[in-house]
Amino acid sequence: MAGALKLPSAFAITPHKVSLCILVQIYASPSQVSVPFPFSSVSQHNRLGLYLLALTKSCDDILEPKLDQLISQLREIGGLLDHWLTDHLTSRLSSLSSPDDLFNFFNDMRGILGGPDSGVMEDDQVILDPNSNLGMFLRRCILAFNLLTFEGICHLLTNIGIYCKEAISSCSSYELRRLDDSGNDLESLSEYENMDLNLVFKKINEEMEARKRATEQVSFHLHLPKELSTLVEDIEVFADPKSEHNDKGRESSSYASSGDLLRDFDPNGGVFLRTNWQIQGYLTEQADAIEKHGSSFTLNAFELTLRQLQKLAPELHRVHFLRYLNSLYHDDYFSALENLHRYFDYSAGIEGFDFVPPTGCNSFGRYEIALLCLGMMHFHFGHPKQALEVLTEAVRVSQQHSNDTCLAYTLAAISNLLSEIGFSTTSGILGSPFSPMTSVGTSLSVQQQLFVLLKGSLKRAESLKLKQLVAANHLSMAKFDLTHVQRPLLSFGPKASMKLRTCPISVCKELRLGYHLISEFCCEGSTMTTDGAFSTAWLKNLQKPMGSLVLSQDNSSRNNSNPFLFCTQPSSIPGSVLQLVGSSYLHRATAWEIYGSAPLARVNALVYATCFADASSSSDAALVYVKLVQHLAVFKGYKEAFAALKIAEEKFLCVSKSWILILKLQLLHERALHRGHLKLAQQVCDELGVLASSVTAVDMDLKTEASLRHARTLLAAKQFSQAAAVAHSLFCMCYKFNLQVESASVLLLLAEIHMKSGNAVVGLPYALASLSYCQSFNLDLLRASATLTLAELWLSLGSNHTKTALSLIHGAFPMILGHGGLELSGRAYITEAKCYLSDPNFSVSDNPEVVLDPLRQASDELQALEYHELAAEAFYLMAIVFDKLGQLEKREEAAASFKNHIVALENSQNVEDLLLSV
Amino acid sequence: MSSKESCRNELRTAIRQLSDRCLYSASKWAAEQLVGIEQDPAKFTPSNTRFQRGSSSIRRRFRTNEITSTPPTGVAYVSTPVMEEDEVIHGDFYLLAKSYFDCREYRRAAHVLRDQTGKKSVFLRCYALYLAGEKRKEEEMIELEGPLGKSDTVNRELVSLERELSTLCKNNMIDPFGLYLYGLVLKEKGNENLARKVLVESVNSYPWNWSAWSELQSLCTTVDLLNSLNLSNHWMKEFFLASVYQELRMHNESLVKYENLQGNFTFSNYIQAQIAKARYSLREFEQVEVIFEDLLRNDPYRVEDMDTYSNVLYTKECFSALSYLAHRVIMTDKYRPESCCIIGNYYSLKGQHEKSVMYFRRALKLNKNYLSAWTLMGHEYVEMKNTPAAVDAYRRAVDINPRDYRAWYGLGQAYEMMGMPHYALHYFRKSVFFQPIDSRLWIAMAQCYESEQLHMLEEAIKCYKRAANCNDTEAIALHRLAKLHRELGHPEEAAFYYKKDLERMEAEDREGPNIVEALMFLATHYKAQKRFEEAEVYCTRLLDYTGPERETAKNLLRGMRIAQSSFPSMDVEHFHP
Repeated sequence: MAGALKLPSAFAITPHKVSLCILVQIYASPSQVSVPFPFSSVSQHNRLGLYLLALTKSCDDILEPKLDQLISQLREIGGLLDHWLTDHLTSRLSSLSSPDDLFNFFNDMRGILGGPDSGVMEDDQVILDPNSNLGMFLRRCILAFNLLTFEGICHLLTNIGIYCKEAISSCSSYELRRLDDSGNDLESLSEYENMDLNLVFKKINEEMEARKRATEQVSFHLHLPKELSTLVEDIEVFADPKSEHNDKGRESSSYASSGDLLRDFDPNGGVFLRTNWQIQGYLTEQADAIEKHGSSFTLNAFELTLRQLQKLAPELHRVHFLRYLNSLYHDDYFSALENLHRYFDYSAGIEGFDFVPPTGCNSFGRYEIALLCLGMMHFHFGHPKQALEVLTEAVRVSQQHSNDTCLAYTLAAISNLLSEIGFSTTSGILGSPFSPMTSVGTSLSVQQQLFVLLKGSLKRAESLKLKQLVAANHLSMAKFDLTHVQRPLLSFGPKASMKLRTCPISVCKELRLGYHLISEFCCEGSTMTTDGAFSTAWLKNLQKPMGSLVLSQDNSSRNNSNPFLFCTQPSSIPGSVLQLVGSSYLHRATAWEIYGSAPLARVNALVYATCFADASSSSDAALVYVKLVQHLAVFKGYKEAFAALKIAEEKFLCVSKSWILILKLQLLHERALHRGHLKLAQQVCDELGVLASSVTAVDMDLKTEASLRHARTLLAAKQFSQAAAVAHSLFCMCYKFNLQVESASVLLLLAEIHMKSGNAVVGLPYALASLSYCQSFNLDLLRASATLTLAELWLSLGSNHTKTALSLIHGAFPMILGHGGLELSGRAYITEAKCYLSDPNFSVSDNPEVVLDPLRQASDELQALEYHELAAEAFYLMAIVFDKLGQLEKREEAAASFKNHIVALENSQNVEDLLLSV
Repeated sequence: MSSKESCRNELRTAIRQLSDRCLYSASKWAAEQLVGIEQDPAKFTPSNTRFQRGSSSIRRRFRTNEITSTPPTGVAYVSTPVMEEDEVIHGDFYLLAKSYFDCREYRRAAHVLRDQTGKKSVFLRCYALYLAGEKRKEEEMIELEGPLGKSDTVNRELVSLERELSTLCKNNMIDPFGLYLYGLVLKEKGNENLARKVLVESVNSYPWNWSAWSELQSLCTTVDLLNSLNLSNHWMKEFFLASVYQELRMHNESLVKYENLQGNFTFSNYIQAQIAKARYSLREFEQVEVIFEDLLRNDPYRVEDMDTYSNVLYTKECFSALSYLAHRVIMTDKYRPESCCIIGNYYSLKGQHEKSVMYFRRALKLNKNYLSAWTLMGHEYVEMKNTPAAVDAYRRAVDINPRDYRAWYGLGQAYEMMGMPHYALHYFRKSVFFQPIDSRLWIAMAQCYESEQLHMLEEAIKCYKRAANCNDTEAIALHRLAKLHRELGHPEEAAFYYKKDLERMEAEDREGPNIVEALMFLATHYKAQKRFEEAEVYCTRLLDYTGPERETAKNLLRGMRIAQSSFPSMDVEHFHP
């Protein structure tokens, strides 16, 4: 009913519990010997005891195992005894045929409980202590039975009937299989069983059919385990044409085949996803899986499972949340919105075990969480303005309800939003609720507000001891430090001596602070096992000896989303922590990439790919692959890069295609530019532009990249004025959205455009501006490349500037050779050679190697890159030098190479037409 | 539409046939309509012969008609002697079964008919089984209320019934009543498309079974579905359409249909009640009250639809009338959801919200899909400041019927109360989507936009405009519009709306600060526009009121006179402010 949240229902007696009672009775039958009748050894006895303990512990169920499940588990536990056990169990169950039998049964149960003075029992007698776990369980069962109304007893009786029949129906094949793997000594016994079963089978067969049909439509309460254990695969299972039960007709096929599947699964360690807790655990796990696999997660199959779950447990509102997640990651806006609202309407945000009861007596719901989620949803769908509005409201409501945790998370979300999405201005959006934090007023720029927010959020998270949030905040702080120059927040007053530079040390510091998280979790890892997935790990371990081979084979095909894997590493660090730590490596890789240290960037990417690939979401993993492939392209040329890309494409077949797709386009574009396939380059560039402004949102980074590439294509096509115009407007955009790192490269491009168009003088200031940007953002590699461009500019100003150019190049060489790619070093070598050659004081014949060596290097590197234009230039210079030296043979060789490249460049037109037509 | 007399005869036959098959509510409905037909004055004339002749001719025509289209039932006995024999031999069993059925011993009734093959017997057997299953289902639902609200009780007869009926249907051995039952079973099993088809077939061959029509109606959730039905023309179709239109919130269309029907069925209580409900949805409370009073005078023990009446009494705050109604229904039938709802309404009106919730809960226990009870309970929780409970109750209403704009509105209000206007907007949007003609919803949404947290005044203005366009009885919208425009510095628009508001207040003879405010603004506005004549009119009107405005008006008048009479004197004023 509305309002009051329903308590997990009272202990209700079910057929499964009756079976447990029978087993307990066997376990603790009052006999005079220390090892009661059926058991041959103490260890056997104890094993059953342990098993019963495990079962009783997981009995606050909404779903319970079926009889055949129980029997097959008994088989693992009981060893030689199992036939006796199962026999006894089934015969005892089937002997319960009238309400009076049940009364007598529970009376008997009372007999095996010891008296209250159980301390004085005799040594060799097995009597159940009423205060032990099993004793308590038994007492609860007896009490529950005594509380039943007569109708309730009738229902129990019918349910026991169904419970037995369902097990028997699946017995025939089970018997067969058992005959196969058990020896001859058991034959008589199983034959006896078969006989017995056949009798019963005939009698109830007809009724069974009808019953099956009746229960088929409404998932009976014993059905769920299969759906859960089959997880994603259930769709295929239902549609499986090979299902051996197909002859029973369509009506019962789904029922039968899933039952069949259960038997396949069960020996593999039967997933006990049955208690309320466990269902929640399952849902959490699925939520992680959705997040991890993104759109590759099967929408409809999971939706089906959820629908079934909802039918079985209408008051378990978490299901709506999972639905929301599912539709969120499949970009179904309306369904996501609807389910989000529904979830929070029902649960008021106070459901599930991740809910920590508030310290104060706050009887109101926690709707601020709803706002937080809604804000994130809008963010995901690319509605930054709405997201900001909603999050602003979330801040206000959490302040109002003094929910500091939510506030911290909301602030983190807002800062994330601000940093991810380019806002040119937040005026009018970030209003009053922020004034307590931004006490300086709203005259701050977006960046300054973001900084204040980040600081505030970090402080809050630290004071609330939200470790993960602290780590996440450190990461975003690092990201902020990476790309922003710190400016004083006050626009007046005494100005401290400020270096207008980014601070790599602080970035490093923040990243390291984020990394502390993992050590903290290692120390207290055991306290984190609130996950429902872990709660039954030990139950699975109990059954581990068998079937593990099949299991591991099974697992290799599915990847590690499998809940089974959890049992192998029960003390593992939670996936979310791993993800965070992993992303710190990703951040490191990016930071080094920006700062210009290629080897370090590569090392960090590699660390991520090897250590965190399992925990990472597929899009993050794809990103790392992208980085590695890019690295290959720059340092090893395109052949290897494309080979690697192929591997990556296979790995992320349909998962988050966009990253890989973008990479492919980037590589294609670069190669086309180098080879001189300009039309192709333009086409690829256009495609990239389309990707940047998808339906969901405009990706600023991608957009800048696309227009940067556009300008470069135009430059390669020697349409200087157009290229300059594109670059100029790009610079304006970067300036507007504070994309300063990008501004540096745009400025450099402008310098190059002017240089190529013959206006070296106009190019100079751009190159200098780019240099100063690079300096203040510590973009060392870009700086080296800007220096190189500057040198080229000086060189093109005339031969009297060669000294300047040469010293510039020599200054930049360590960086270029250490970290630069093939193209950059090739260019540097050529420029160096040109400097020498154009120096009037330099004579080739005196010192030919000074020129020839760099030219050889350059030609090698550029050939690897298939950069025809520059390679041709290198060979041309080489030929001239050889000519001067009088080495005619080598001259001819160089000239031939030169010609080859020129021809290739000229032929590019034809090749390109061919390519385009394909 | 056929004449009254033919209607009457059709209904008479139908009632007999329906009650023969124990379809009691359908026969009740038909009987109500039968009595509702205006008595033909000709009937009371002594010339009985003429009436009989006319009647027989109609009957003959009706009979032939029925034979061609539908062979079953009493008429069919005559034409097909084989079948009659069949029924005669086993007629005794049928009588016994029917008696058992009447005593609600469904399984016994079905058992008696186990070997009978006549269509009538087969139908009664299946129907008895169905009801037995339903009865057991209801019982089990209470017995088996599991944890987490799981209730997997089903009518256990459905599967076998479906099998049997589908075979009969395939072999063409089924009469329209069987088809109706088949449709019912299919609907329960969730096979809605086939159910719709089967029900259409049933009503086309036997249109007088109102139960079949209502099942069909519950399957027509959209206009498109309705239009896709292939229904043959019959006057019963009019009843159906009227009812569907009402359910689809096409109240005016529905009203037209009902009023047409009233031509023939002048005294039908049913039609009267439906008209009242339609008018209630159109918020014409005065007329609704009159209709219900009239209805209760004719049919004092009626409980059906009385919850709507109680809603009207609630909105009109008629304490004693509501208590009288509650008393009356509780004497008639205490355990009807409607009765509980009426009592809940009464307690709510008295401000005893806990008790009110208790009665709504009882109503929901009796029928957990009782939409308005969920919504009303939500309102009570809102009054009790238990917003999470209110949200929950509203959400359940919405999940039962997503078109229930009141519950959406309630959800919006609840969230607004919690200070989450932006979140609330989603619900208000839903609410106005389903009921765009209700000014209160638009006003609520506008107030949400206007709230200091959002302060989205442009949007608020748009909402108020919509509200003003749909008959805003409380006249909030115009005033707010004027005020907002003034705040946003649109004097022209502000003046326009103040003027409209003023006209409205004059028309309705309202008094209050709003008038003064409007007059004041208009006076200053026109003065600033140098339209002194108009300004003067407003100023003089202001003089009728006491308070500081009066003095201001005087000053304004003086200023204007001076300005009009001699321009140089303005300089003087300028120097002495």
